[in-house]
Amino acid sequence: MTTTRRGLLATAALAPLAAPVATAQPRRILIGYQLPLTGEFSQYGERFRNSALMALDAFNRSGRLPVPVEIVFEDTRSDPREAVAVARKFVDNREIVAVLGDFSSSASIQAGRVYAEAGMPQLSQTASHPDFVKISPWQFRNITTQAYEGPRVAEWMRENGVRRVAVVAIQNDWGQSVVSNFAEAFRAGGGEMVATQFFNPGNREFRAILTEIARARPDAIYIGMFYEDGAAFLQQRRQLNIRTPVYATSSLYEPKLVELAGAGAEGVFLSTTFMATSPEPHVRAYVEEYRRRFGSEPNMFSAQAFDAVNILLEAIVRAWPEVTRARVRDELAKTRDFPGVTGVTTFDPETREPAKTLARMRIENGQFVLLR
Amino acid sequence: MRGVLAPLAVFAVLFGVLPAGLSAAGSGYLFRLADVTLIFCILSLSMQLITGVAGLLTLGHAAFYGIGAYTAAILSTRLGFDAGLTIPASGLVSALFGVLIALPTMRLVSIYFAVATLGLGEMIYVTLLNWVSFTRGPLGIGDIPPLRPFGFDLSSPLGTYLLIAALAALALLVVHRVAHSYYGNTLRALREDDQCADAMGLPVVRLKIETFAIATFLAGIAGALWAHTTGYVNPADFRFAESILILAMVVVGGLGSIPGAIVGAALLILLPEALRAIGRVRILAVGLIMFLCILFLPKGLFGEVTALDLVRRQFGAAWRGSPTDRPLGWR
Repeated sequence: MTTTRRGLLATAALAPLAAPVATAQPRRILIGYQLPLTGEFSQYGERFRNSALMALDAFNRSGRLPVPVEIVFEDTRSDPREAVAVARKFVDNREIVAVLGDFSSSASIQAGRVYAEAGMPQLSQTASHPDFVKISPWQFRNITTQAYEGPRVAEWMRENGVRRVAVVAIQNDWGQSVVSNFAEAFRAGGGEMVATQFFNPGNREFRAILTEIARARPDAIYIGMFYEDGAAFLQQRRQLNIRTPVYATSSLYEPKLVELAGAGAEGVFLSTTFMATSPEPHVRAYVEEYRRRFGSEPNMFSAQAFDAVNILLEAIVRAWPEVTRARVRDELAKTRDFPGVTGVTTFDPETREPAKTLARMRIENGQFVLLR
Repeated sequence: MRGVLAPLAVFAVLFGVLPAGLSAAGSGYLFRLADVTLIFCILSLSMQLITGVAGLLTLGHAAFYGIGAYTAAILSTRLGFDAGLTIPASGLVSALFGVLIALPTMRLVSIYFAVATLGLGEMIYVTLLNWVSFTRGPLGIGDIPPLRPFGFDLSSPLGTYLLIAALAALALLVVHRVAHSYYGNTLRALREDDQCADAMGLPVVRLKIETFAIATFLAGIAGALWAHTTGYVNPADFRFAESILILAMVVVGGLGSIPGAIVGAALLILLPEALRAIGRVRILAVGLIMFLCILFLPKGLFGEVTALDLVRRQFGAAWRGSPTDRPLGWR
């Protein structure tokens, strides 16, 4: 009797320290989402919120948990001052069990320091900075980096019999990572890098670069740039009549590329995680509902957020009924073979980096065609 | 009597009422807002000295804030210095750059000086961005340790707050002493008419350089505090828009007024947070409030000169109306 009473007293004393769920079933589960809803990046935040609402409504309708899940959206403008303040605000709210966001790597890292210290799981849909997941075991991301994409493109080229490659990339931190990750994997597979060229951001004159790399007689050209530069590059390649096949980073997957480059874009190989025209039923369902509900086309950013929210909801279901910050973190780390619209996703439990299936595409007759 | 009451009131609020209230609320969010507000108070006070008191419109203040932040980041992550050393070092490095920049630019007058500081501020930003081997460029510098000066662990919310509050109080004292002295009066003489001041035998260039050194020293300290409390710095945090934000604090609070600088900083940091409830239009609302402030209070909340008057003077005599028949501000 005495022991039981002491046990009860101990439980009562400890109760306020434990997470709210440990004592009684919560009436709802809260998730925080910090994102830029105003300011220069608001177009991305808008897409994230649209996708998050879609994922959340479908989840709550499904009745997989006896209590509703709610998302608290807080605007940060992806500004460092606001990102950190909002992170503190989310940490203060004991009901919030996990956080999504931010948009930019910089704001995600600054907020991430707060989450690391407080023990709050954080899943960013877009932070691709190499240091982001290294902050602490509480950080996750749902976007693949060049460290993941580069080796897969190298493998693809090997399968197609490419031995000699020339690489052209934009001169910034991302472009550097395109070249280093690809080159390492390609050389390890016995390939040869015959030329590497960086161009300064804003430069659209590629004829000198093209002439020089053509002289090195590569089997293929790999380009790491954004679609505006890519369109200029592909047009000029056609004008110079260089027939070397071109492989491109996933950043060139954008319908505008074909519009701008016209016939120059024919035959380009590229990989992507999200393809709006994919015939897969769950992707089609997502694209159609997004279009119907928000009157605009979803893109890679909207899809990244949609999957991030669903991955987090799955982790919460697995943690149920003991939905604490620590449990949600552990369950997030166990994410395996999640069938998302951006491909089948698995989180590495140690590095917390995502692995996704990359779809292979080719531009044929002005269309992005999925290769099987 | 008033001479004793005001500092006592500031002291009581800064070290009594505020920390007690914040601790009682137990909210990391409110502590963070207080920290950021005080850091920006240091920045706006330092800019007040240059722009409000000495009358030099500077558009590159964020660069000195950035130099301070990067000095603290590099010294603490690569050389293992603690905050007791990085904070003064950040002030000194920033002041050194301030003097180096002041030497050639102080001979410029009016709008030319403003444009020169704008250009130099952007140069410092571009250097932080592109000197990859030293600053890590767009990757930024992470893992900056929290505030632990001389082995005292002040990384708790209260400890961090108290250190920042102490430094802000110190900055307030320095700026107040400089501005309210014969020295400050000579600076005001520069603001009103630097040619006349020169003719009176005041060492105009030396005074301007000294003011710049004090102000950039304080901006550097603010940068170090930002770096240690945020843990990660990125060149994008010290862009032109930050300079404009600090300038807006000074103008809304009132040019030349020390309480104005503090109220301006508090207003522009806390208002966007306080207005979170109204959702997406909050930034618009902040803009509107600033606009109304300038419209109805052309001298700012506490100012001694109007912002429009400063701009007029910066743009030269062509814009200057006759002071007798032309009311200042709007109408």
